[in-house]
Amino acid sequence: MSTASPVKTTAVSAEGVWKAYGTGEAQVVALRDVSVQFASGAFTAIMGPSGSGKSTLMHCLAGLDTTDRGTVHIGDTPVTGLSDKALTKLRRDKIGFIFQQFNLLPTLTAEENITLPAAIAGAKADPDWIKKIIHTLDLTDRLSHKPTELSGGQQQRVACARALASRPEVVFADEPTGNLDTRSGAEVLRFLRTSVDEFGQTIVMVTHDPSAAAYADRVVFLADGQIVEDMTEPTADKVIDKMKHFEELVAAAQEAAA
Amino acid sequence: MLRATLKGMAARKARLILTSLAVVLGSAFIAAALVLTASIRATVDDLSGDAYKGADVIVQPVEPENRGDRLVRDGVAAETLAAIEANGDVADVSTTVTWMVNALGEDGKIVGGFAPTMAVNWGDESVEREMREGRAPEADGEVAVSAQFVTESGLGLGDTVTAYSLSTDETPYEIVGVYGYAGGRDSLSGSTELAFTTTEAQRLVFGGEDVYSAVAVTAADGVDADELLKALEPAVGAESEAITHQAYVDDLNAESAEVTSVIGYFLLGFGLIAVFVSVFLIANTFSIVIAGRLKEIAMMRAIGAGRGQIIRSVLAEAGLLGAAAAAVGAGLGVAAGAGLTSVIANGFLDTATTSVAIPWSAPLAAVAVGLGVTVLSALVPAVRASKTPPVEAMREAVKADKPITGITVTGLVVTLLGAAGIILGLNETFGSDDANLIAAAVGAGVVFIGVALLTAWLSKPVVALLGAVWSWSFAGRLGRLNASRNPRRTAVTAAALMIGVTLVTATATLLTSVKESLAERFDTTIKAELFVTGPVTASVPATFDPEVMDEIRAVDGVEAAVDLYYDLAQIDGTEQYVNASSDIEGAVTQFGGVVAEGSMKDLGEGEIAANDAAAEQLGIGIGDTVTATFSRGTEAHEFTLVAIIADNEESDGFYVDPAYTAEFYTPKPNMALVDVADGADVGDVTAEVEDLIADQPSVSVQNHEEYLSQVTVFFDYAIIAIQLLLALAMIVAVIGVVNTLVLSVLERTRELGMLRAIGMTRGQTTRMVTVESVTIALFGALLGIGTGLLLGWIVQQALAPTGIESFAIPTALIAAYLAASVLVGLLAAIAPAVRASKVDILGAISYE
Repeated sequence: MSTASPVKTTAVSAEGVWKAYGTGEAQVVALRDVSVQFASGAFTAIMGPSGSGKSTLMHCLAGLDTTDRGTVHIGDTPVTGLSDKALTKLRRDKIGFIFQQFNLLPTLTAEENITLPAAIAGAKADPDWIKKIIHTLDLTDRLSHKPTELSGGQQQRVACARALASRPEVVFADEPTGNLDTRSGAEVLRFLRTSVDEFGQTIVMVTHDPSAAAYADRVVFLADGQIVEDMTEPTADKVIDKMKHFEELVAAAQEAAA
Repeated sequence: MLRATLKGMAARKARLILTSLAVVLGSAFIAAALVLTASIRATVDDLSGDAYKGADVIVQPVEPENRGDRLVRDGVAAETLAAIEANGDVADVSTTVTWMVNALGEDGKIVGGFAPTMAVNWGDESVEREMREGRAPEADGEVAVSAQFVTESGLGLGDTVTAYSLSTDETPYEIVGVYGYAGGRDSLSGSTELAFTTTEAQRLVFGGEDVYSAVAVTAADGVDADELLKALEPAVGAESEAITHQAYVDDLNAESAEVTSVIGYFLLGFGLIAVFVSVFLIANTFSIVIAGRLKEIAMMRAIGAGRGQIIRSVLAEAGLLGAAAAAVGAGLGVAAGAGLTSVIANGFLDTATTSVAIPWSAPLAAVAVGLGVTVLSALVPAVRASKTPPVEAMREAVKADKPITGITVTGLVVTLLGAAGIILGLNETFGSDDANLIAAAVGAGVVFIGVALLTAWLSKPVVALLGAVWSWSFAGRLGRLNASRNPRRTAVTAAALMIGVTLVTATATLLTSVKESLAERFDTTIKAELFVTGPVTASVPATFDPEVMDEIRAVDGVEAAVDLYYDLAQIDGTEQYVNASSDIEGAVTQFGGVVAEGSMKDLGEGEIAANDAAAEQLGIGIGDTVTATFSRGTEAHEFTLVAIIADNEESDGFYVDPAYTAEFYTPKPNMALVDVADGADVGDVTAEVEDLIADQPSVSVQNHEEYLSQVTVFFDYAIIAIQLLLALAMIVAVIGVVNTLVLSVLERTRELGMLRAIGMTRGQTTRMVTVESVTIALFGALLGIGTGLLLGWIVQQALAPTGIESFAIPTALIAAYLAASVLVGLLAAIAPAVRASKVDILGAISYE
């Protein structure tokens, strides 16, 4: 388990990734020749309208889905072409996940859910580190509760702690605020920001909420399976402004491709 | 609404199939049981119909089979036969002389196990025999044997076989022929047979009297059976009776019907247990399926479906499913019943042909039971479904489990009620023994139901305890947690297994206790260490030469040796066991008895001793007179009661002087008790006594254990038979566990996807599901074993006054049940575990 180095290295990279679903008339191309790098210790948001391919890109980056063409690396490890076993190990050791639906195990307590990845690996989680995350997430007095006894915001904070517990090289968050009210959502986003700033964590977040994207260091816009814009130091206004002119961006990208 | 139901069903084929399996199995068992019973009866009836084929009238001694339980045969007199032959309406006459004999095989041991060895005259026409090798017996020293006898004895054509009956000594016969029966059969119902000349058969069966077991008469042309019957009346006389061939066949059928109906009840019992267990499975499956559809049902409610419509829709689904599954089950059951008929007919009845009878009741009962059970099982989930509030459709919340307080309280009350019944019964609170026994038995049944209701409550602690076994593996821990996640579901699934295990454990415990009680009483009351006796399965009791007794007494280390004869006699109009011995007082002592009143010294002619129970039964005391007729006796003897014996429970009835043994069923001793002196080596004495009886191969020296294992062999067979019941329960339980697991895996798809996404391997996923499965199965088995032991103990306690005083636990069997339940868990886990490990991670975690 590596800690992020102060030097900006690449945590995740995709090189010429293609992905299509279905065949013939019904074929949908989800990703067209996408190449993108995500720097270590940075918080990147992936945005785009429904069907733009942003979730597919994340699944391919995280080794949950295979690419048709192109390669994906997590750190130095090539993801493309790994066996199911190796992919499983990769996900366990180097990747953290935060889902929209929280996806906690109802049979386990909050604390057990947080240490779940380590338990699956048959390893012992670093207790100081776990303590630190729990403290930061303000979950100290909720540890013995079952998920059914927690609010949505608390559940998602437990999910955040779980994602960070094994100090993964990268955390993928898939619409982490999609099921939360504004206040709880903001808490979660603040924590993600903190984990990048204080712990040097790398985070890649898929979202369609401009105010969520504003917490990131960089926003990558996807449309029709292509990257159409790469924005650094985003604000909610800048993002909304960009989305207002989305059709122009897409048209420009298509012209460029043609 | 119906259209929606149908479309809904079509969309959930996998779940439908799983639910149907339970119904199919239950229905199939019912249909198979009914078809099998009817077919076996038809087959046996055909067999009876072939007896004395072509004859019109059968003449036999009055009550030929057994007068009461008398062991010695009567016959049709030669004069009667002569008178029949002389009758003008008679075209043809054949005679039968038959009863059981002992024959020694190549190894010098008595041939045969449970099926008897029969002696018959070659002229007998009750069955059709076909000579295969050699010829018919023509001289008294010759015999033809059935092919089955050749197989079992190891002897063959040209060999010499030694045979004897109670009225003859061991006699060598030359085997001159080997025969089979019509249809190429080797045997009739597994028995072995030796065919002699008529005079030799009469010597073996009737001690040389010129009498016959039966006479078959064929009418002359133009005379029908009834006319012949009338014409023969004067010839038959009072000692014999004439019946038409039809009446004879009907009698045989009525006798076999008793046996076949027992088989039928047994099979039907199996079927009903399968149905009972399937009720749990069907109800459980419907609950799970409906729980998974709550959103859909809520949506229906939201768009305006009434509660009644929801109930009707679920019931319609159950009805359609039940009808289809029951029809399939009925079809399979009928086919299985027909198939099993030939297996049983060929394997056990040795019939030439099998008749498959399919009574209408078979498919009808199967469909009715399958349909009824399905609809009833779906009723509770249907009503529950109809209560779903429409807002449920919009809510995505993790639902907490329904509380199990209601069912737990009910279970506790029921269990306590049952326990009260048991306690009252065992403490003999009620007036009669019967009432106490019934109270205890009903109480036991009620406890059984109570415990079944308590399974949900019990599942938490027991599963937690079982979980300790898996705690070394994290996947195992998750599996254990999953098993206790929905106590209701786990409980109902485990209950399906529990029922079967409870029944077999209770029965096995009781039978083991009976065996143990016998052994214990035997060891404490019987002084003699050794028995000289033959196999209990011998067709006629094995006897030995009484002269060997003096030699046995002379063996170094023998403290005492007594010979025993026994008979079933008529004493004052009742059937009583009568024993005789050259040393009656010694015999009583060996059995642990004491003379309570009077004296047995020099028990002489006209004097009799009685056990206290027998004396009490006849209401006689010292000095009273009784009349006794022995098995072979032609006249009654008067006896004066001179002694009453107490504490002599291992030997029944009365004692008389050995002078009467000539009229006994066993004119020679059939057992000797050998008391080894303290300090003498039992092994040495055994070896020496064995040498002394070496020339009498039908008896052997046995110790308590060997002797008891013979006597209790029936219990061993009974225990094996009930294991079949377990096998059945296990099959149903596998389906139940598979159902629950597959549905749970479906429900937890998203969770499985998450676990796989954050790094759980396929192997770990498989282990997790397998542990859940094995835990549920073990839980069911443990409950069943616990309840079974409890029920077995209760029945043993209730029966203690009848002599079943020891409680014994069949540990080996219980270990086997636990192993079997683990196997059930493993087998049931295969499909669900594979499914869980192949969950499509993306599909599982993508939001709806």
